[in-house]
Amino acid sequence: MKGMTVNNKGFRLLFIYLFMSVLAVLFLFPTVWMLAASTKPDVLIYSETGKLSSFIPNITDGSVFLRNYAILLTDYKIWRFMLNSSFYSAFIVVGNIIVSSMAGYALAKFHFPGKTFLLGLIVFLIVVPIETTIIPLYTIVHRLGLTGTIFAVLIPPLVSVFNIFLFRQSFVSVPRELEEAAIMDGASKLQVYYHIILATSKPIIATIATLNFIGVWNDYIWPIMVLPAPSGNGDWPLYPIQAALNTLAQQPMIETGQIMAALTLATIPLIVVYALAQKYIVEGFSTAGIK
Amino acid sequence: MNTFTLGLIAVFILILAVCVLWDIRKSGEFKFKWSHSLAGYLFMAPALVLIVLFVIQPIVLSLWYGFTDYYLLEPNNIHYIGLNNFSSLTKDLSGQGDFYHALKNTLYFMLFCVPLQIAVALGLALLVNKPRKGGGFFKVAFFSPVVMSLAVTSFLWLYMLRPDEKGLINGLLVKMGIPVQGFFTDPDQAMNLIILLSAWQGAGMQMIIFLAGLKNISRDLYEAAQLDGANRWKSFLNITMPGLKPITLFILITTFIAASRLMIQPMILTGYKEFTVTLSYLIYNEGYVFKMVGYASAIALLVTVLIGSMTLVQRYVLREVD
Repeated sequence: MKGMTVNNKGFRLLFIYLFMSVLAVLFLFPTVWMLAASTKPDVLIYSETGKLSSFIPNITDGSVFLRNYAILLTDYKIWRFMLNSSFYSAFIVVGNIIVSSMAGYALAKFHFPGKTFLLGLIVFLIVVPIETTIIPLYTIVHRLGLTGTIFAVLIPPLVSVFNIFLFRQSFVSVPRELEEAAIMDGASKLQVYYHIILATSKPIIATIATLNFIGVWNDYIWPIMVLPAPSGNGDWPLYPIQAALNTLAQQPMIETGQIMAALTLATIPLIVVYALAQKYIVEGFSTAGIK
Repeated sequence: MNTFTLGLIAVFILILAVCVLWDIRKSGEFKFKWSHSLAGYLFMAPALVLIVLFVIQPIVLSLWYGFTDYYLLEPNNIHYIGLNNFSSLTKDLSGQGDFYHALKNTLYFMLFCVPLQIAVALGLALLVNKPRKGGGFFKVAFFSPVVMSLAVTSFLWLYMLRPDEKGLINGLLVKMGIPVQGFFTDPDQAMNLIILLSAWQGAGMQMIIFLAGLKNISRDLYEAAQLDGANRWKSFLNITMPGLKPITLFILITTFIAASRLMIQPMILTGYKEFTVTLSYLIYNEGYVFKMVGYASAIALLVTVLIGSMTLVQRYVLREVD
């Protein structure tokens, strides 16, 4: 009898592992193919169609292993788009954190006429879907004369009502005694904000910064709407990497392997962020879910 | 501006006034000082300027533009045209025009992608929840598509699902004796493929949220159930399911809203086609490509009301359950 149950358990475990492996293959094979194809010239990619070797990186000709990446860097100057994306993300994330946390501080720790209204307004604005206001937003940015300049990408995302709300909820629980002690020591409100509020809220700052970075790095439509497409005449282009993927895919001479290399390059910073900040991402999403 | 918009602004100001009076009345309890209030305003100021400019103004403007014939290149030649935009939308709906297709495709996507993605996510979470050898690998594997952006995911699948025998998947199908498929060029397949790849891309994120929810269910409950002789299926029905209810509803709402915004995938995978156009894509196309800001704003208003009311219903249900 005992042997039976052990066997049953073993069989069951084997089945679960088999099932999970099939699923893992389903979830991984496109990414594996992308990585493998990025190391191959198109002749090789298409000769391997339908064969298992299409999922294995270029082992037949190691000398061209990184050729696609080299072409992207030299011929298509993809590093410029990567730099653009890095600059946009850094600027917006830092700016958004400053603007949103200041507002969150005001709403959490100050009493001023209109506060009730502002809090209600912010909660209401969180619900309004952004996509439906994208055209009026475009007309505003257009009328301000910002279309075609990087300011169209940099300025509107500096505020996020959702981040203000998250900061406010977090700052409310910072003990009043801490603030009062600092004020007793002669600290100004600005010093309290910096040394007490921000210093005690590092996890929520990290969470919001990470989610904000992912959102900005992945933004595709807005940059395409407000920035000029790369001209190809040697000028420094304004597109971030995501938008540039669209331009790259339209190049007449570009190979599939090179597109796959570009997709890989566009994803590497995200892999780094997810790996380094996974704790904050999981926390951010799961606390949002439980509350 | 039309009377409707002016009325809304009046209501807005009225609410503001009432709230300010309320704050001032209440402030007696806090021994409130003007210097303190001023500091509050100053901390609020940068955000407030940006919110008014880039969040509230677009909403108010779309309330106005929706009733005009605003053409982007003629900003000084805007006429109030009453409900004309909306009546053309009704005509479009009955004549099976672009708005009809966008509405149909968006609802179809929401109806099938949301349950599929949530079911897959829950299944994956239950699979990797139990600590097992190599469990970390499977968790990372299931999560890995989330790391790619929607644009990257779409381009990747676009190349894998090429509609000729050179494509990865078609090459495999041909080997198995199945004829070459049109995939994203095939009106019958495109939307279903977009549903599949969207669920594939997003399920890992909801799996993580479900895992957090599963962690919050007390182990004692399962042990007690086991002592009472309940089998796995019974414990799942009576402990896991109720325990996950709030988190499932949260996931339902967020996935639902995300699904209603579908745009990047059809944009990259098929371009502007009747069989994959969505509401967001239609707004973009009318307002940005054709520069018919008035017409696009009218669509946006309808969509906001539609999605907003669906969300409110879900929130209400969520509160009831909590």
